[in-house]
Amino acid sequence: MKKRLFVLVFPALLAGLASPSVLSTAQSGDLTVKDSLDRTVVIPAKVKRIVSIQSEITRLIVALGAGDDLVGIDYTMRLHDHLFKHIYPEESRLPLVSMAENNVNLETVVSLKPDIIFASPFERQIVDAIQRKTRIPVVALASLGDVSKLADEMRLVGRILGRERRAEELSAYFTGAVGLVRERLKDVPRDKRPRVYMSFWGFLTRTPIHYDPVEIAAGLNLAEKIIPDVLGSVGTMVKIEQIILWDPDLILVHGNYLPKERTVTVESVLKDSRLASLSSVRSKRVFYTFGFWNWWDIAEVLLETEYLAHLFHPDRFPEFDLGRRGDAIYKKFYGLDDGFAKLSAILRCDEWVHD
Amino acid sequence: MTKKQRALGLLIVLFPFVAFFVSLSIGVVHIPLDGVLKSLLSPIFPSLKQGLPENYLGIVLGVRLPRLLLALLAGAGLSVSGASLQALSKNPLVNEYILGISSGAAFGASLSIVIFRQSFPPQISAFVFAVAAVMIVLLISRNSDSPIVSLLLTGIIVSAFFSALLSLVEFFASPYALQGLFYWLMGNLGWPGWGALSISLPLTAVGTAGLILMRWRMNVLSMSDEEARSLGVNIRREKLMVIFLATLVTAAVTSVAGIIGWVGLIVPHLVRMMVGVDNRRVVPLSAAMGAGYLILADDLARGLASSFEIPVGIFTSLIGIPFFILLLRKSKRIWL
Repeated sequence: MKKRLFVLVFPALLAGLASPSVLSTAQSGDLTVKDSLDRTVVIPAKVKRIVSIQSEITRLIVALGAGDDLVGIDYTMRLHDHLFKHIYPEESRLPLVSMAENNVNLETVVSLKPDIIFASPFERQIVDAIQRKTRIPVVALASLGDVSKLADEMRLVGRILGRERRAEELSAYFTGAVGLVRERLKDVPRDKRPRVYMSFWGFLTRTPIHYDPVEIAAGLNLAEKIIPDVLGSVGTMVKIEQIILWDPDLILVHGNYLPKERTVTVESVLKDSRLASLSSVRSKRVFYTFGFWNWWDIAEVLLETEYLAHLFHPDRFPEFDLGRRGDAIYKKFYGLDDGFAKLSAILRCDEWVHD
Repeated sequence: MTKKQRALGLLIVLFPFVAFFVSLSIGVVHIPLDGVLKSLLSPIFPSLKQGLPENYLGIVLGVRLPRLLLALLAGAGLSVSGASLQALSKNPLVNEYILGISSGAAFGASLSIVIFRQSFPPQISAFVFAVAAVMIVLLISRNSDSPIVSLLLTGIIVSAFFSALLSLVEFFASPYALQGLFYWLMGNLGWPGWGALSISLPLTAVGTAGLILMRWRMNVLSMSDEEARSLGVNIRREKLMVIFLATLVTAAVTSVAGIIGWVGLIVPHLVRMMVGVDNRRVVPLSAAMGAGYLILADDLARGLASSFEIPVGIFTSLIGIPFFILLLRKSKRIWL
């Protein structure tokens, strides 16, 4: 039931989340931070043992080179993440401390003697309860699809873990690359920006109401803010008729599913008789993209932004090659020569771009 | 039957037909009535396609028609099932899901969405487990001294068991699969295409027609067993037949549309409040009222919000419950 609640509550988080930051540093070196739930948390100066039940932060920890400080992770990361076992092969040694992200086995956590727990900002009461019962500081963080927050989050985690230089290097790389895309596309007039519909999360009619990579890549999300902001949702269900009425220039299909898990595919969209009148279907402008998956992977977000920029405006990014650029980005963040090649083999990204 | 009841009965019969044809014109894309008619008739008279905007055919034949046919038959089927089971059990609180059908179907769908993926579609899996749940209920309660009480209690127990299994599957599900399951469980008439409907709709139609044909016997079955036996009715056979048909209908609907609650409970009561308790009228009029009611609820689901869609299951409860309370306060009694 809690998990079902998560599905309901999760989309409503975006509007209410605070911007995490460092508030102060004590003489002892203890750090006081404000997390995404606007909680004030005091963290010891030296953090050497980490439990992370937040996938996005777990990936950042590995990217920062602090993977060996992890002493416990969550079930989702081990069983459902496509790449984690490749970017951090030692993960198999780590005990699982939670099933669904908030179903934490507190006794296991305490027995691991962590200095800090990173959690998802679902609900303040749950996060507070974990901290109160374990007496271990819990920091709840998530960028929730906001690219600028992702870079800030990288710096904050780096500060907490004492890996400021690496965090600065990676966030500068990330912000610089995203900035380059923005710079190259800033003068694209609105009528030259493709009108994009995204079929995400396993449904033809489920779509994000805001998606940073599309916006940065100078595309227009047709479902942008169709739900009032006050509801704080990241996605909604639209009517098929609405898709027909929009007549998008291009359709993006969530490609972060394993091929065997995909209930919506490029082929199923192209063959759907209800969509036959769409210009994007007739011109076969239907493509996979990565999409928001089990929180964000900073490397994947950057790669997706550049991939979409190339897809939307090939004349401005003629040199882009998904495989080569993917390998370079994954090398930068995770130090792997074949990191993206492995992900690509899992998701069959080589089949994504077609004529 | 009073004059007023007769007039109300006629209105109820007309309700789904009016709702069906009016609803064909409702949607995000404005299609004038002649465009709707030409699109509908174009498979028979291909010349009518000439001059029609390209997207009309896709919208009318591919989006609206299957959705409305499903709403029509699902509303009729769920209501008739509810009315029949209420008559059979002599219990006004019984609904079409009381025998564990919804929990069985939900568990079946969860297995498909979370574990089997495309190799075993949720529609088939939901149908199989919905029928399995009812079979278990029937097997457990078959030799009881008070069969109906035992049947209802077993239904509650089996529902609880399948709900627990569903929670277990949810607990282990990936975030993606969980979201898919969540939306499936909320009920939606807009997703099934002609492929799924080609199996579900005939089953629903056959089951509903069968229950309507049995409406004469429902009056007898709603008497005490001794009275019914004295009239020469084979109670066990007749009851099993009603349960079989109600299960067939509910499982067929649930397997393609998800769980659409309250229709089978509210509609028969509304009909009884309007035309009296005679099942010869209540059962067929429940079909008509249920069909119109679900079409209306679906119109709100797809019409209220301009671009996005709200699951119809939410509206069947939001409309039905206040209306039901209003009538209940007015009539001050539960009809059966």
